[in-house]
Amino acid sequence: MTAFSAHAAEAELSGPKDSQAIIARGIIRVAITKFELPAFHWRDAKGELTGPEIDLARVIGRLLKVGVEFIDDCATFDAVVDAVATGRADIGLSKLSQTPYRVLRVRFSNPYLTLHQAFLFDRIFVGAQAAGRPPEETLRKFSGTIGVIAKSEYVDFAERNFPEAQITELQTWDDSVESLMNNRVDAIYRDEFEIRRVLKKNPTLNVRFGSAAFTDLKSFLSIAICDTCVRLQEFINYQIAEYQAPFSLPSLLASEAGK
Amino acid sequence: MVDTPRFSFAKFSKRVNSPSLSILAVLLGVGLGLMRFPFLQHLKPIGDFYVALLQMCVLPFLLATIPLAVRSALTSGTGGKVMSRLAFWLLLTLLAAASIAVLASTVIFRIKPLDQATTSRIGALFGASADQVDIELALKPQLSAMARSARESGVQSLVPTNVFAALSSNDSLGVIIFAAIFGAGMVWSERRSGNSIFGALKHIQTVCILIFEWFNLFTPIGLVALIAPQVAFLGPDVYAVLAPFAYAFIAASVLLLVIPILVISAALRVRPQTVFAKLLKPLALVVATRNALVCIPSALEALKDELHTPSEPCDLYIPIGFVVLRFGPFIHFMTATLFIGYLMGRKFTGLDLVSVAALSFMSSFATIGVSGLNALAPMAVVLRPFGLSYELALPLMAIVDPIVAMFRALLNVALNCVIPVLAAGRRSPKVSIVPTPAE
Repeated sequence: MTAFSAHAAEAELSGPKDSQAIIARGIIRVAITKFELPAFHWRDAKGELTGPEIDLARVIGRLLKVGVEFIDDCATFDAVVDAVATGRADIGLSKLSQTPYRVLRVRFSNPYLTLHQAFLFDRIFVGAQAAGRPPEETLRKFSGTIGVIAKSEYVDFAERNFPEAQITELQTWDDSVESLMNNRVDAIYRDEFEIRRVLKKNPTLNVRFGSAAFTDLKSFLSIAICDTCVRLQEFINYQIAEYQAPFSLPSLLASEAGK
Repeated sequence: MVDTPRFSFAKFSKRVNSPSLSILAVLLGVGLGLMRFPFLQHLKPIGDFYVALLQMCVLPFLLATIPLAVRSALTSGTGGKVMSRLAFWLLLTLLAAASIAVLASTVIFRIKPLDQATTSRIGALFGASADQVDIELALKPQLSAMARSARESGVQSLVPTNVFAALSSNDSLGVIIFAAIFGAGMVWSERRSGNSIFGALKHIQTVCILIFEWFNLFTPIGLVALIAPQVAFLGPDVYAVLAPFAYAFIAASVLLLVIPILVISAALRVRPQTVFAKLLKPLALVVATRNALVCIPSALEALKDELHTPSEPCDLYIPIGFVVLRFGPFIHFMTATLFIGYLMGRKFTGLDLVSVAALSFMSSFATIGVSGLNALAPMAVVLRPFGLSYELALPLMAIVDPIVAMFRALLNVALNCVIPVLAAGRRSPKVSIVPTPAE
């Protein structure tokens, strides 16, 4: 055992978990969703995890000089946060937005990408509600049914930002899109990237459905970090500042996985 | 010694602007455009130069012509009668135009029902043209951002507080309002003092017409240089995708071009071919320039000097009608609204159609002095009361606008030309304010 790793092992035993404990263990455990997040993380033809989020986790591991273990059994976004909060993982990295509830449970890095929150809405519903006025006011005080992914930050966002709306939690994003197409919801709510990606994948939807981005509602996509990992948080913030290139809306939309 | 025939500039100008040469230039422009040669974009500056030449003299021409027309109406004693006849025929023309637009759209949309493939292609076209979300908005806009700017609006915006500023900023409506008031003032001043600048204004008008004649030598080149790049800008695939709209709008436009020619022909008792040949120059010019203002002198010349329509209604109506009564946007907004309704599965009742026509007419005034894609913005006023998405309509209409704008301008000229002819009643020889070009 080297002097450095002996010191790290000592640190792990003597105080709360932080970067030294991870270095001592020789592995950083990264929680991710078990479902793919195209343009962020997915499995390639060989079944290997890939994508800019996976690359970012590997960069963090390499610079800490530890291996990376992906815990990829999280069924929901909240489950990723739970994994970090309960100590099953050291960090969580799955297009996670900061929310007040989550901030109480884990630390968050600085955002590696900030996206506007957005709607994909039924043009006829919004047009009828607007009654001849521009649609903006109807969207601000949306009173229809909003579809969001269950146990995602958008449940919280929808309740907070659109109190007059009915919120319908749907299992997956694909379910949300299908519900909109089948008139079971009047709008679906997520970040601008996902809304634009839906329209890019299926341009026919442009005729029936409109898209709106809220310039003052932002999703800060950050890495969830264990509650006691103060140094690890500093370290990750430094790395994010250096590693932002792959995370921009145009580059994500232009990437093969983002199409 | 052999006598050599003297060169006549006016004859040469007439030959250069003959109907056959104008048609040839339009066809050449369209043909070159469809071939989409890369060099066509280099023709655009030539076209823009030609439009700039024509625009140069338009406002001075209006400043001279409108006071003369107002003076003529006030001193002839028939001004009131002419005005009421103009108003009557204007109303009738509006009703007829709206009916034809509705009929053409309804028939085309019935013949060609929307299928999934067309919707998909339109959606793809929209997606490609709008590389961003439809609407960006703040959930809680600050009061300061919400506060509307205290810009002049409504009737107040029509009155030029500074006529020189209106001239320099090409505010043609402001200039016309000033010129009309100036004309009325000139008559009262003449009656009181006996002094008049009538002769000076007539001279300015003659000079402007002479300059227009010089520039008319470039008309065939200008037509080719303006039309070819516009046609080349859009590929045939775009027309295929937006075919239902294009068919409806073009059908309405063709009907609204043919019917005025037949009506003028019946009113003036001349053959339709003759009317078409005489009106070809202003029509070809407006197709190429998409600017009705620059066609005012040639339209006046065609109606008064060549078709011998009485001067008074022409001089009173044409400059004002070309600027204010925007038949092109009126028909375009109606057809576009019916098309977006058809696309989104919206059915229109009879009352809805009347409302579409009324809103389109009112919105068309908002296009005065506005050019390019900004002229599409008032369409929101027509679409939204029917729950139709302006955010969907705008990018789609913007795609086809380079061509639609030509038809809009064509309708402005064709329909406005029919009103003074009908208001004039039967043909009667009168002395024209606009002198016949000197030979």
